[in-house]
Amino acid sequence: MVTLDVRPQLLDALSALRDRVAAARFPLPLPGAPRARVNREELLAQLDDYLVPRLKQPEAPLLVVVGGSTGAGKSTLVNSLVGRQVSEAGVLRPTTRTPVLVCHPDDHHWFAGLRVLPELTRVWVPQGGDEGGRDGAAKAGERALRVETAGTLPRGLALLDAPDIDSLVAENRVLAAELICAADVWVMVTTAARYADAVPWHLLRTAKEYDATLVTVLDRVPHQVVAEVSRQYGALLAKAGLGEVPRFTVPELPESTGNGGLLPATAVAPLRAWLTHRVQDEQARAFALSRTATGLLDSLNSRMPELAGAVAAQHAASVRLTAIVDEAYEREQTRVRGRLQAGAVLAGGALARWRAYPLDCTAGELLDAVVESLGTVLACAVSAADRRIDDGWQREAAAGDLVAREPDGEGADHRVGLCVRRWRRVLEEYVEEELRGLDNPPEAEVVAALLATALLGGRRARSAGEVLAERIGAQAALKLRDRGGRLLSSYVEKALKDERERRLAPLDALDVQPDPQAELIAALSVLQKER
Amino acid sequence: MTAVTAVTDHTGGQEPAAAPAEPDAPVAPAGSESDGAEVSGVTEAVAEAAGHADAAAGAETGADADAAEESAWDDGLIARRVMGDGERPAREESFQPRGLTYDAPLRARLDALRELVGLSRTRLDGQTLAEAGRVLDQAAARRGLSERHTVVAVAGATGSGKSTLFNALAGVAISDTGVRRPTTAAPLACSWSDGAAGLLDRLGIPGRLRRRPLQGTDPDPRMAGLVLIDLPDHDSAALEHREHVERMLKLVDAVIWVVDPEKYADAVLHERYLRPLAGHAEVTFVVLNQTDRLPGDSADLVLDDLRRLLDEDGIALGEHGEPGATVLALSALTGDGVGELRDALAQFVAERGAAARRISADLDAAARRLKPVYSAGRRVGLSERAREEFADRLAEAVGAGAAGEAAERAWRRSANKACGTPWLRLWRWYEAQRTGPSAVQAESVPVDEEATARQRVEQAVRIVGDEAVAGLPAPWAQAVRDAAARGGEGLPEALDELAVNAALPARKPPRPGWWPMAVFVQALMTLLQVVGGFWLFGQVVGVAEPNLMAPVLLMLAGIVGGPCVEWACRMAARGPARRYGQEAERSLREAAAACGRQRVLDPVAAELLRYREVREQYVRVLGVVPPMGGRSTATGAFTVGGERREPLVPSGG
Repeated sequence: MVTLDVRPQLLDALSALRDRVAAARFPLPLPGAPRARVNREELLAQLDDYLVPRLKQPEAPLLVVVGGSTGAGKSTLVNSLVGRQVSEAGVLRPTTRTPVLVCHPDDHHWFAGLRVLPELTRVWVPQGGDEGGRDGAAKAGERALRVETAGTLPRGLALLDAPDIDSLVAENRVLAAELICAADVWVMVTTAARYADAVPWHLLRTAKEYDATLVTVLDRVPHQVVAEVSRQYGALLAKAGLGEVPRFTVPELPESTGNGGLLPATAVAPLRAWLTHRVQDEQARAFALSRTATGLLDSLNSRMPELAGAVAAQHAASVRLTAIVDEAYEREQTRVRGRLQAGAVLAGGALARWRAYPLDCTAGELLDAVVESLGTVLACAVSAADRRIDDGWQREAAAGDLVAREPDGEGADHRVGLCVRRWRRVLEEYVEEELRGLDNPPEAEVVAALLATALLGGRRARSAGEVLAERIGAQAALKLRDRGGRLLSSYVEKALKDERERRLAPLDALDVQPDPQAELIAALSVLQKER
Repeated sequence: MTAVTAVTDHTGGQEPAAAPAEPDAPVAPAGSESDGAEVSGVTEAVAEAAGHADAAAGAETGADADAAEESAWDDGLIARRVMGDGERPAREESFQPRGLTYDAPLRARLDALRELVGLSRTRLDGQTLAEAGRVLDQAAARRGLSERHTVVAVAGATGSGKSTLFNALAGVAISDTGVRRPTTAAPLACSWSDGAAGLLDRLGIPGRLRRRPLQGTDPDPRMAGLVLIDLPDHDSAALEHREHVERMLKLVDAVIWVVDPEKYADAVLHERYLRPLAGHAEVTFVVLNQTDRLPGDSADLVLDDLRRLLDEDGIALGEHGEPGATVLALSALTGDGVGELRDALAQFVAERGAAARRISADLDAAARRLKPVYSAGRRVGLSERAREEFADRLAEAVGAGAAGEAAERAWRRSANKACGTPWLRLWRWYEAQRTGPSAVQAESVPVDEEATARQRVEQAVRIVGDEAVAGLPAPWAQAVRDAAARGGEGLPEALDELAVNAALPARKPPRPGWWPMAVFVQALMTLLQVVGGFWLFGQVVGVAEPNLMAPVLLMLAGIVGGPCVEWACRMAARGPARRYGQEAERSLREAAAACGRQRVLDPVAAELLRYREVREQYVRVLGVVPPMGGRSTATGAFTVGGERREPLVPSGG
């Protein structure tokens, strides 16, 4: 049980938990990601706007959020509770777009600062503020909260008129959910025409899940059917396990339709009395506060693991995507190795050159052809791997727009070509180095061409090795072939590895790590210990 | 399906006989009267049976409809279905000729869609085509049913007053109204005239939920074709209501959306129902009910706001005589404005065009949804450049360029050798003898080796495949790519063979005509040298008379002439050598290109052609191009059946 004293350790644990939640990211478009994102947002809103400020300052006024469907008469209800028009009511839906907070003038300092709902800009309209002030608030463009004061409200009570939960205006829905997250007491307003709607019931079930202090108001009930509708509604509530929730019925009066009308005080008296009792009776107040707070803390037990699960799913998806890339390149690397051994480089143009050498082809031409052919083998391997990765990622929901990379086939060819040419240069240096020791050295280019052919030609170029040995001696030839072979495999590996890294770069940039999962769970267990 | 139609028609045919039997039971909850109830009971039993058969045949009932529909569409027998369709009109003619007929453009579009589905079944999965199949089934099913009737559903949120409006229109309290939410749990039908049994069977409304309006209270004869359905709500916590509504909305001809001042801006209504049905504006009424709850002139304000919201949903509003949704404000409770709705409905029903318009809108929606799988962003096809590049790559793969160059050089070499001075040849021979057998690849290359660069062929096939699919919708792109890959499989081997064959004739280079001449001249030069030498020798010995000048000149001519002839030959050989090399390259290259065209480009082009055909068909479905008559026998059967009944199209439509 959370007592209403300030407990630093608990607050520390909570803020650690909050930071962990804020650090959680869901960048991969998995099926569960949107839900996890909303869950995170909501959790943050509840922690920032409600739980942390409430536990820090238990003495702050009770915040009552009036929420419900569009046209349920929330604003009229708030106006009637206050006794004057603080929130616009009207027939056009949705009416309330800027939420209005009403409190006693003495409590104003609690809400003027950014203690709760820090993302909302405060618009303060002094008592008797004219229409111009309100228009200014609406014009601000960003999300605003209008703070009104009214002496008619008891001290320690603040009413918040929220926008619709089922509005056609999507921002209204989000804002309403956020405001409800900040509430100590949830007042759900529904009407005779709406009490069976799916959306409000969803919210009621959520309230039950969080075990928040909940009040329902059945508004706009035609007076002929008050008893019947009220009974029906009660039955539905009882069926949903919300039988003990305080239920208030407000009849439909001509004033309900708005146009500045206020309901007579008698219509809202029971609700007003209930709320006043929550504020003035110390025990009732403590109960109301701690119930919502405890409910929220309890709900963490299931929501944090869900969040952690979503984080783990992200990481698993990222591992899967990486594995697809790794497997594709692994496969291509094996294939390239096999091809090099089989002498696939010495085919087509290069083979024609080799057949013509030395009578009808110079060493330089042979070397060029062999090196170019090697480049093609590698570029082909890269594009085959890319195709395989594309196919694999297409089947993964998590890949999302990672699949739609810009086609850079030319780029890959270019990069591989560079790598191969570098290999050629180093090979030529090796040859020169080796020839320096000989007393009657043959032409370096000839040796380099023969060496490259021998390295890349497989069985087909056996005679190249023989001629090489003849020209520079068996020992030197063997040494050169050894060094050249090692050089070749390292360059081939490097070329493929670079391409693999390039392919993985966008995924790596998302930085999906396994650690946040454990951290979330750890923060939760620390919090549980502190409670 | 044919069986279903038969039963349905049978029921329909029987109803007129049944109705006069109970003239004094206008509101006839079936089975309530004694005498006539017997007959109507039978009717009902048949109707129920028809309903069941309907469901069993998987026409369009509930959740299993999709699955059943799929099986109906996946059987791979186009002929049978078309036969079934063709059979229907004949069968109907033996009864009453009162089935619905679509006008020519719509019929052509439906035919095009049918053919489109047939053409693309092998390429697209059943799920993508399910919607199109549903529209076709729907159109066929509706076509077999009464054209005199228009089925209008009253839909809306819980508590908006659907049932109250329904009762107000019927003139009698048929549907229960109440404060208990949700009130109506099962759809209720009310038909103004007989013969709608088939339609109601299709909707799956059991006989006990079919009613008749109060007789005599409706003076408007135009309302005669109206069949009104009271739907359950779409937004209550009762999930099965929503399912009911969604199933019904797919089957009815038109919808009256009832909204109230409290709920007219609900996200559920707009986002889930109105926006997806924006294309159906012509068969949509939106009615703002409960205006009695609004004070003063705020009803107009709310109505304007509603219009604005509908506009944002993309629904065309039928203002100023333009086609679109009808938006009205009324109070079903006080009867205020109901008359207007009644007028609009009466006119709407009298036009008898709703069913066709509904099918047309469905068709539009289905076509729109299919757009991503049929429509390419740009012109598709292989450009000439892409084909040439493919040929270039293949030529490179078989090494045509290098081989040609080698052939050129070899030819030139042999020409030089043949025309060179004998002394030079002697020296070369001696050199060769001295250095030993240095000819590097004396051993001939084995024939079975892979002479073609596999990687280049693979690359070429991949690139040409990629270029062919640029802009193509995914399923077709996959098909094209597969065709390219399949063609590429045996390509390297074929090219290997080709390279060997093409290389064979090159063994013996042809000689130009001047060659023997050159050899002769060269020999002459050598002879001159020898003769000169002998002559000089003779002078020295003293056999010949001393004349130094002549033999020296003779020898000098031979010595200078030999290299000159050699040089001239070399120059002259250049042109033919190049021609010879180019010829070798060209033949290899052309052989490779032909091989690639046959194995890769042609299958790819065929696949692209198939796509283009489908796309044309799709455009025809969209109805953009003036449609042409039955193109194939399959459509022919359908079209002929329809055309025979053309005179029945109401001229007012």
